[in-house]
Amino acid sequence: MISSVQLLPLFFLLLSTPAWALDLAELVRSVETQYSGESSYSRVRMEIRTEHWQRSLEMEGWSLGRDYFLTRILAPDKDRGVSTLKAQQDVWNYLPKVDRVMKIPASMMGGSWMGSHITNDDLVKGSRVDLDYELRLLEESKKHYLIECLPRPEAVVVWGKVLYRIKKPDLLPESISYFDEEMTEVRRILFDDVQPVGARMIPMRLTVLPLEKPQEQTIMRYEKIDYGAELTRDFFSLRTLQKRP
Amino acid sequence: MLASLALRNLGRNRRRTLLTLCATVVSCSLLILALGIFSGMLADILDSTTGQYHGHLVVSSPQYPERRSLYDSFEEDLKTQEALLRHPGITGLSPRLRAFGLLSFTRAALPVELLGIRPQREASVTRLGQQLVRGSRLDSAGGAQPEVLIGEGLASRLGATVGDELAFMTQAADGSIGNDLLRIRGIFSTGDRNRDNQLALVPLDWLRELLVLPDALHELALRVDDPMEAPAIRQRLEGQLADADTSLAILDWGQLLPTMREAIANFDVSRMILIIILYSATGLGILNTFFMSVIERTREIGILLAMGMTPARVRRMILLEALFLGLISLVLGTLIGIALTAWMHQVGIDLSDWITPVTYAGGTIAPRLHATFETANILMPALILLGVCLLAGYFPARRASKLQPALAIREDA
Amino acid sequence: MIHLENVSKIYRTGNREVAALLDFSLDVARGEFSVLAGPSGSGKTTVLNLIGCLDQSTRGRIEVAGMDVSRRTVTQLASFRLAHIGFIFQSYNLIPVLSAQENAEFTLMLRGVPKAKRQARIQELFERLGIAGLENRKPGDLSGGQQQRVAIARAMAAKPNLILADEPTANLDSKTSEDLLELMRELNEEQQITFLFSSHDPMIIGCARRVIELKDGHLASDSKDSAA
Ligand SMILES: Nc1ncnc2c1ncn2[C@@H]1O[C@H](COP(=O)(O)OP(=O)(O)OP(=O)(O)O)[C@@H](O)[C@H]1O
Ligand SMILES: [Mg+2]
Repeated sequence: MISSVQLLPLFFLLLSTPAWALDLAELVRSVETQYSGESSYSRVRMEIRTEHWQRSLEMEGWSLGRDYFLTRILAPDKDRGVSTLKAQQDVWNYLPKVDRVMKIPASMMGGSWMGSHITNDDLVKGSRVDLDYELRLLEESKKHYLIECLPRPEAVVVWGKVLYRIKKPDLLPESISYFDEEMTEVRRILFDDVQPVGARMIPMRLTVLPLEKPQEQTIMRYEKIDYGAELTRDFFSLRTLQKRP
Repeated sequence: MLASLALRNLGRNRRRTLLTLCATVVSCSLLILALGIFSGMLADILDSTTGQYHGHLVVSSPQYPERRSLYDSFEEDLKTQEALLRHPGITGLSPRLRAFGLLSFTRAALPVELLGIRPQREASVTRLGQQLVRGSRLDSAGGAQPEVLIGEGLASRLGATVGDELAFMTQAADGSIGNDLLRIRGIFSTGDRNRDNQLALVPLDWLRELLVLPDALHELALRVDDPMEAPAIRQRLEGQLADADTSLAILDWGQLLPTMREAIANFDVSRMILIIILYSATGLGILNTFFMSVIERTREIGILLAMGMTPARVRRMILLEALFLGLISLVLGTLIGIALTAWMHQVGIDLSDWITPVTYAGGTIAPRLHATFETANILMPALILLGVCLLAGYFPARRASKLQPALAIREDA
Repeated sequence: MIHLENVSKIYRTGNREVAALLDFSLDVARGEFSVLAGPSGSGKTTVLNLIGCLDQSTRGRIEVAGMDVSRRTVTQLASFRLAHIGFIFQSYNLIPVLSAQENAEFTLMLRGVPKAKRQARIQELFERLGIAGLENRKPGDLSGGQQQRVAIARAMAAKPNLILADEPTANLDSKTSEDLLELMRELNEEQQITFLFSSHDPMIIGCARRVIELKDGHLASDSKDSAA
């Protein structure tokens, strides 16, 4: 007779994932936090092109983990000082011209952020993909991993499906595709211009393509990322938000 | 001769004829009054609905009504506006510009619709900006600081009142972040809760500057004399706009408010149902009267046949009696009906002590009985009454013409 | 003027058949002044109705004023009556809503005779019948004798070839009956109008030139035959 005690090690062996197995959640998380790290300071040039106008914004930003994020427009002059604070699930805008802070209401979270093709929801929900979606390795080729993210039944999400295309062997993102409820691809983000930043390799350019409007796009070009910034939670307050540059 | 005989026959059993006449006159006049009140109610609803926001006709770019995109604007052209105002039937015109954005007082920002208007022009089309519960109307001159009128629900959700400063933020047409402070000048209540929860009225010129849309408009709201004529005027204007090559489209209130149009269209059916119900009772009464009268006169009709009157003439005589009864009822019923409607039109009955305003098909039914005149409301009851009388007379007339003279004369009188 | 040949009239009430007239034949010449006599239910009214085209025979042939009146439409018969026959009834049967004048001129109006002509004719008749001055009275305001005179005027107004009178004096007192009978005899002689009465009044029967007696729908006797 074999006792149950004798079987226990075998049982554990079957349950635990092999050490060499790919941690999909970790991979997606690393993509979503590549620009923020533990904490960071960055400077970005955002070029927006729409059917009706085209403009370029210069911004600086601070972030702490995946929950805190503050950005401020430096140029052009007309919008200089307009700032956004994201703390946990909330987004505030500060308008220096009228010296007012505005909290984005839940119903407007799907709206455009600073006129770009990035929504307020992207600021809040992007960093939660590994929590709100069920991840699955859809395909693995010599050069790529294709990770499929389907919403968890209980999660409140925006997309019907998200596909991460990650390059081998450095595990850097190449593109992310966003699908609506009907499973048509409606938006794609491309990453390129990989450069070393400190010890890491980071794609310094991010292009957002709204596929329904082929002539429109938003390009985010990271001009500087400093992962050494010493920031605390206190920094990400409405008081900091209202500080004029 | 047949006519005088028919008239005298009517006068024969005076009480019975009078009673029948009473029934027809009362049903005809009350029907006219009821339809007048019904129409009055619908006119109230229609007026409250169109006067609340849209007006009767809206001229805009063809895509604008559906997309409401900031960029579907057109350049203000005073010549077009003058031409429209000269068009027969059009009594008012209001140029408008619209923006969607966030409005905040303290911290809670709310999504709102900002409608840029010229207050006096708007007053020629709708009651927007006039039904104030607090504060005062927008100043067309526009002071140093931009001012805003906001809906009652919006005010309470913002926690703001007259004199408070609100911040507004939106995306301007050049992509910049349009934002400015607005001082609340007044708080309005249109009666439509949805609108009161998210509408704010601002001076047109201020909004143009904020949106970086100089000289632009999103729509021209028009008011017409008779709302029922709006579709016809729209068709004429469509031709005119096409000739002028303005690439502008025009919608009438029926297209803007389909539920309202349905409610009005349903009235035609309701009117028919009301007429049919009331007149079938009246018609049966008339039928009964004429059958009795024919049966009582069996012997006499036999004599008429014996003397050589043809059955067709006998039938015509009875039908003439019915026609005369119908004509007398029609004249009296219509006159009394018009008089009652006129009274209800001028005086009306205020029910506000008993009933609160009811919302129906997006409009508000005022708590009052008030009649309006509509040709069909008088013509239909009158003409159908005549038809009912003839129909009610037809069967007895046929019976009379089929009598066998020998048998009829034998009948004991 | 009148020719009846083996005429039968059978009434059906439910499944019971009543033969009001059986194989009845009769000839009346123009200008005759005859009476149909016989007890109640013998078929007098039936004969008059058949001759007056108010009813259709079950069998037999009827000719009036030279026309075969069977198988005609109701409208044709009405026109025929209007053109040729005047009726006088036992209970006068004037139209109550019309005045004496209007009652009398009714057939003239049906024929479309112009007003002036009508008035002259009625004036003449009323004077002849001794009721001049009563033109505007309604039947209800006239005595039985006066009403029957108006009825005679009505029957005569259109100058018919034949006047059928069903017990014209049954509702009148004997003096009035005598006067009216006298009058009708004079009219018959003056204007050569054929008169056919029905009656069981011995006075009337006595006045008639020819008495046709009916019994149970059969011809019982005809004074013309016995004279011959
Ligand atoms: N419509 C009818 N239905 C059934 N039977 C009828 C009808 N009309 C008449 N009769 C019958 O036919 C017969 C002849 O009737 P008719 O009226 O011709 O008699 P009459 O000689 O005129 O009698 P009276 O002197 O009473 O007027 C009678 O037996 C009568 O009952
Ligand atoms: Mg008889």
